[in-house]
Amino acid sequence: MRRPITLAAMALALCLALAGCGGGGASTAADSKVTLRFTWWGNADRAARTEKAVAAFERANPGIDIQTSYSTYESYKQKLATQAAGGDVPDLIQLDYRQISQYAGSDVLLDLGTQRKALPTEDMDSGLLKTGQVGGVQYALPMGVGTQALAYDKEAWRKAGLRAPKPGWTWEEWADALRKLKAAGYERPMTDPGSMEDWFEVWLRGQGKRLYGADGQAAFSAADLARFWAFTSKLRKEGLVSRAEDTTQMAGSVEDSPMGRKRAVAEFNWDAPSAGYEAMYGDRLALAPMPAGPDGTPGQYYKPSMLLGIAAGSTHPREAARFLDFLLNSDAAADILGVDRGTPVNGRQRTRVLPKVTGFQQQVAGLQESLEGKLKDPPAAPPRGDNGLQSTFQRDYDQVAFEQASPREVAEDFLTEARTELRP
Amino acid sequence: MTFTRTAVRANWPRTALHAGCLLVLLVMLYPLGWLVATSFKPADEVLASLALLPSRLATENYTTAAAGIEGVSLLKLFGNSLTISVGAVLGNVLSCSLAAYAFARLRFRMRGPLFAFMIATIMLPHHAVLIPQYIVFNQLGMVNTFWPMVLPKFLATDAFFVFLIVQFMRGLPRELEEAAKIDGCGPFRTFARVVLPLTRPALITTAIFTFIWTWNDFFTQLIYLFEPDKYTLTLALRTFVDTSSQSAYGPMFAMSVLALLPIVLFFLAFQRFLVEGMANSGVKG
Amino acid sequence: MDEAAVLPRQRPAPAVQGGKRRPKREREGAAWVFLSPWVLGAAVLTLLPMAVSLYLSFTDYDLFDPPSWVGLRNYTQMFTEDPRLLRSVLNTLLYVLVAVPLQLALALAVAVALKSMKRGKGFYRSAFYAPSLLGASMSIALVWRALFNDGGTVDNVLGSLGLHTGGWVNRPGWALLSVALLTVWQFGAPMVIFLAGLQQIPKELYEAASVDGAGRWRQFVSITLPMLSPVLFFNLVLQTIQAFQVFTPAFAVSGGRGGPADSTLFYTLYLYDRGFTASHMGYASAMAWVLLIAIAIVTAVLFRTSRSWVFYANEEGR
Repeated sequence: MRRPITLAAMALALCLALAGCGGGGASTAADSKVTLRFTWWGNADRAARTEKAVAAFERANPGIDIQTSYSTYESYKQKLATQAAGGDVPDLIQLDYRQISQYAGSDVLLDLGTQRKALPTEDMDSGLLKTGQVGGVQYALPMGVGTQALAYDKEAWRKAGLRAPKPGWTWEEWADALRKLKAAGYERPMTDPGSMEDWFEVWLRGQGKRLYGADGQAAFSAADLARFWAFTSKLRKEGLVSRAEDTTQMAGSVEDSPMGRKRAVAEFNWDAPSAGYEAMYGDRLALAPMPAGPDGTPGQYYKPSMLLGIAAGSTHPREAARFLDFLLNSDAAADILGVDRGTPVNGRQRTRVLPKVTGFQQQVAGLQESLEGKLKDPPAAPPRGDNGLQSTFQRDYDQVAFEQASPREVAEDFLTEARTELRP
Repeated sequence: MTFTRTAVRANWPRTALHAGCLLVLLVMLYPLGWLVATSFKPADEVLASLALLPSRLATENYTTAAAGIEGVSLLKLFGNSLTISVGAVLGNVLSCSLAAYAFARLRFRMRGPLFAFMIATIMLPHHAVLIPQYIVFNQLGMVNTFWPMVLPKFLATDAFFVFLIVQFMRGLPRELEEAAKIDGCGPFRTFARVVLPLTRPALITTAIFTFIWTWNDFFTQLIYLFEPDKYTLTLALRTFVDTSSQSAYGPMFAMSVLALLPIVLFFLAFQRFLVEGMANSGVKG
Repeated sequence: MDEAAVLPRQRPAPAVQGGKRRPKREREGAAWVFLSPWVLGAAVLTLLPMAVSLYLSFTDYDLFDPPSWVGLRNYTQMFTEDPRLLRSVLNTLLYVLVAVPLQLALALAVAVALKSMKRGKGFYRSAFYAPSLLGASMSIALVWRALFNDGGTVDNVLGSLGLHTGGWVNRPGWALLSVALLTVWQFGAPMVIFLAGLQQIPKELYEAASVDGAGRWRQFVSITLPMLSPVLFFNLVLQTIQAFQVFTPAFAVSGGRGGPADSTLFYTLYLYDRGFTASHMGYASAMAWVLLIAIAIVTAVLFRTSRSWVFYANEEGR
């Protein structure tokens, strides 16, 4: 009788795997201290500030212990998705605008309305609060805001006889500026914006259109996208924006973009991450508003740079809410965190923090100030499936830039894929 | 060596051989030189510069790297990497040799199908089983511990090494085992006293490959380790490059040079046994 | 798979085994004790997850909501409406055909050169193995991008020879080759295995051949190659399996996207993209199983052809 041995071994193995939960519930520790897990993405500077803020909170709340974990954005996305699939989401999570719909729609996030007492939101901008809502329910709170920007080399601008762009300048004026830069000897002065969905969105909004409709489907047509790509392709052929060979190397960080590699003197980017150019350009680095539509309609908007949410499965939602309240509403946290996660959404925190900023952060503050009251409300959080589309957009544009297919053909393909990917 | 005419003539192809090897080596080691040189480049040259040598020796990269990451010292990171790698080595050597002995020498039912299954496990891309495996480890309460990196090694899940040791054991003469059997040794004593010592070279090979591969692994560690206190060197390396904020490529290069040192030392110490081990392993198709 | 070629041949049972003192059952029990860690691992950490992924391959699963059964839809979609998948298959095949032969040829050439060396063997061995210590880390990927970029070292060297390429990693026609070269560059493991095989070839064979007046090349073709064929075969099978699953070098060099213009979008890279970026884990699981079957077929074919060219010195012909 050999078979039973095998079966027994396998059964034992399965039991071990399935009944192992017994060993897993270590979180109900004997002492009364509550442990919360807080996970976020960012760099070393953010890590230092966050640890300091956590320490301050723990001092004020001796019964709560906060365990932090951080990684870089790309790693973070995959790790969090795996945790969600494994039913092991940390109590406190930092989320990107693009993740909200997915995480809220799948009941990973707690309805923050249930914690209103511990977590008031009166001091936060109401338009921005909406960015953390799905179906009218507040699932996450924006922590900071940022906006799209043009980062450029002042020196080049001066040599080309250009003045600093003002809010409301148009895409045509932008193209003319590139022509002047080229005439001043700057070959291909600008990074080709055609590969990023973010810049397409700004262009689209400038014409009064939107990326996504209320139904969670694409709200633009293939013709819209084809026009945008035809526009960037024309500029590329004129020698005004980067070659396909350089555009394709962008992998997300400042350092591998054409401007970061000193092959261009201007580039679209989000305002805060543009600080990365400082290492290469120093004082010559400047920020300007994004180009607007033909009639001056602004396309750019205030976007939450990140949001914070509580896991629906958290066993200590009230303590978690208290920690969020500390981060998002307290003066102490504002003093420690500064504008590291973007300009604070909380009005009181903002007025406390902004006068103290230095260096490049002053430029960010200056840009946001110049746009104050001029921008339209941010769009609702992108629908589920948008995450994959963002990389498809960049992939597809390679085909346009390397001239393997016409803008129209590729735009049709993109919309076909968008229709199957978006899961409202 | 006597310096006769024939010796000189016989030597010249040897010299040519050395010259050829050195030339190939020069080309091959160039990227390594680039890696080390980059770790000394100032921030604005790390990725932008296309020259091998830095314009000035930027030792600040190493100062930053030596400080570790927020709240975790470099020493701690080394310690974590080392714990996981050594655990993995012990696990693989022990469990793979046990399984290999059964496949190579013992008779049992379903031996053929089970062996084929083992080989087939090499063929499935691991991304496909990542989520189910995570669920298993989560159920076992092992997330945020070193176990997901170490336990699989104690359960011989690295089929590559089982296969390697099986092939090695095939080449061992049976006479010794049979003699042991006649002396009254059971299969366990035969394994421990006769087979294991003879298999040592293959085990060293397994140990070296396991150490290097575990040391360099990133994916498993990323998924399973939560607290920075448990982070390894490869995880720490990645924290330097965050695309959503500012990156620090220089310190990343510096730390990856530092992270190389242990495996270089480990390899230099054992490479002699590596080839010796493989030479005796009788690897056959 | 051709089991006979893989499985260690069992000799006729020794007399002891048939004897009454050691019943067969007891021996089998011992075998299961030896196997127990492997059985446990195979069941819980391999078979169970594999079964789950097989199940998922018939579902629509976005990692968040429970999987829903869709039958064969993932499979039919793969074969009928996914041009990018076809592209990734072609890229992978091209990569296998370029990287595997180049890597094995280089590993073999270096191993043969080292074998005839009397001095400095240890040094060369370590030096040639050095690149393989690195793995495909982010830093080595960045080095690769710098070397093979427009204006990088490779471009400059080739340019001075009159072959201006304009960079490799940034151009659709060349990027795959630069990724393949990263794999070829790390040829340490097959080299070590070749070295081992070479040391097993009896010296007498070469001595006899040189008495017969055979030159180096003749000796290589008529002694080294046939005697080395089992090792060559071992390397060929394992490197081919690994090449079909190529992920890390392309992921690192292309920044995860498999660019430019999908030219380094390999099968597993696309699988990862579908599973984790686009949250189609069901579809990704189906892709994994198709790859498993494809690799199994290729391996089986390799085993079949091996009968005509792999020469087993210690075993009687079949």
